[in-house]
Amino acid sequence: MADDKQRTHFGYRAVDADDKASLVRGVFDSVASKYDLMNDLMSFGVHRLWKRFAVELAGIRQGQRVLDLASGTGDLVDRMADLVGPQGLVLMTDINAAMLRVGRDRMIDRGHGGNLAFVQVDAEALPFPDDSLDLITIAFGLRNVTDKDAALRAMYRALKPGGRALILEFSKPVSKPLEKLYDLYSFRVLPKMGDLVANDAESYRYLAESIRMHPDQATLKAMMENAGFERCDVHNLTGGIVAAHRGFKI
Amino acid sequence: MSVRNLLLEGLEQAINRVVALDPEAARQLATLHGRVICLDLRGIELKLNFVPRHDGRLQLLGRIEGQPDCTLSGSPIDLIRASEPSEGPAQLFAGHVRIDGDTALAQRFSEAVAGLDIDWEEQLSRLTGDIAAHEIGRSVRALAREGQRIGRSAEDNLGEYLTEEVRLLPHRFEVEAFLSDVDEIRDDVERLAARIAQLERKSRGDAP
Repeated sequence: MADDKQRTHFGYRAVDADDKASLVRGVFDSVASKYDLMNDLMSFGVHRLWKRFAVELAGIRQGQRVLDLASGTGDLVDRMADLVGPQGLVLMTDINAAMLRVGRDRMIDRGHGGNLAFVQVDAEALPFPDDSLDLITIAFGLRNVTDKDAALRAMYRALKPGGRALILEFSKPVSKPLEKLYDLYSFRVLPKMGDLVANDAESYRYLAESIRMHPDQATLKAMMENAGFERCDVHNLTGGIVAAHRGFKI
Repeated sequence: MSVRNLLLEGLEQAINRVVALDPEAARQLATLHGRVICLDLRGIELKLNFVPRHDGRLQLLGRIEGQPDCTLSGSPIDLIRASEPSEGPAQLFAGHVRIDGDTALAQRFSEAVAGLDIDWEEQLSRLTGDIAAHEIGRSVRALAREGQRIGRSAEDNLGEYLTEEVRLLPHRFEVEAFLSDVDEIRDDVERLAARIAQLERKSRGDAP
């Protein structure tokens, strides 16, 4: 967090900032193989609609260069690679090698090639030149980044003027009853489901906790503006359980 | 966003299930990878943007930024009729369906999609409700039936003119009589040939 350089949060636990990346890596090493199945189960398949909406907000055109951070198994990449066309480029990345391998295999199995590249990168230190990308997306990944402000600044730096960043992330439900129901679901049901399907309750408890610790709509919007983004807007999805944040580099 | 996205997702999956069954259509669509073909449904104010994927499946977007590569606009009825091979050009020339942008792309896309056996009425019902979709489908079918009836009666009239009035063509009975005469002569010739062969063998003196 900004107010404490040495400590950060890992779910509800306070840990050394240097340790968070390896703890997050542990979570994703553990869930990589069951990732898609769990996403469908946990969100009742609605995550597909969130991602579809995000891709529309991204306003992709043929020939663009797109960076997808924390690609996971590549749901966004799968759609975006087809929208940039054969002349475009989508960089599929993840900080976690196991996750990136699963994602890369999946894209190759689906017949993608030519306009896709795979890179293991840390969102806080993007290895791309300034002003080089048309679009940077990160879906359900910013939550796991230790220094979110650094990541946002890095994204801003690598974007071309006129480029945009799109962040899809869990957020804060806008209505109280929905929030109650959502809490019940994420703290009682999710860890059980994680235990049964992925044989790992801890990782899914971390998921629920990390969602609660993630900045809400207004905070993240302010963070984007601090990083230099302009014309930032927020779209609440499924009652604010998920929010799509968009900002432009002008 | 949810209802609209749910509809798009459902429609996209339904179309791609059909594409998956037709490798030739998929191959044709894959050559259009990344191009944007917009279907502008007049009357229900709905725009559907189709983007062919690398493997020929289609990605469906409710909205895009910038201009699509080509736009096909018309009422749902006109577009459905234009998708039928016999009706397509007529729809276009009658001005019911309009094409903007890259017309060659529109043509290639239409050709690839026309081969697909998509139950448009069922798909349309998701957007307009069952009753409206059924009504539209019924009108299209009634029109198609009427078209066939007119076509058949034109065929009959033309046939009658050519056989009875100007006698350029033989009547069906004359053709049948002629064909049976041909059959008879062929049989006679074959019998004669067999008879000659028999006589030849006899004259050479080798016993049968």
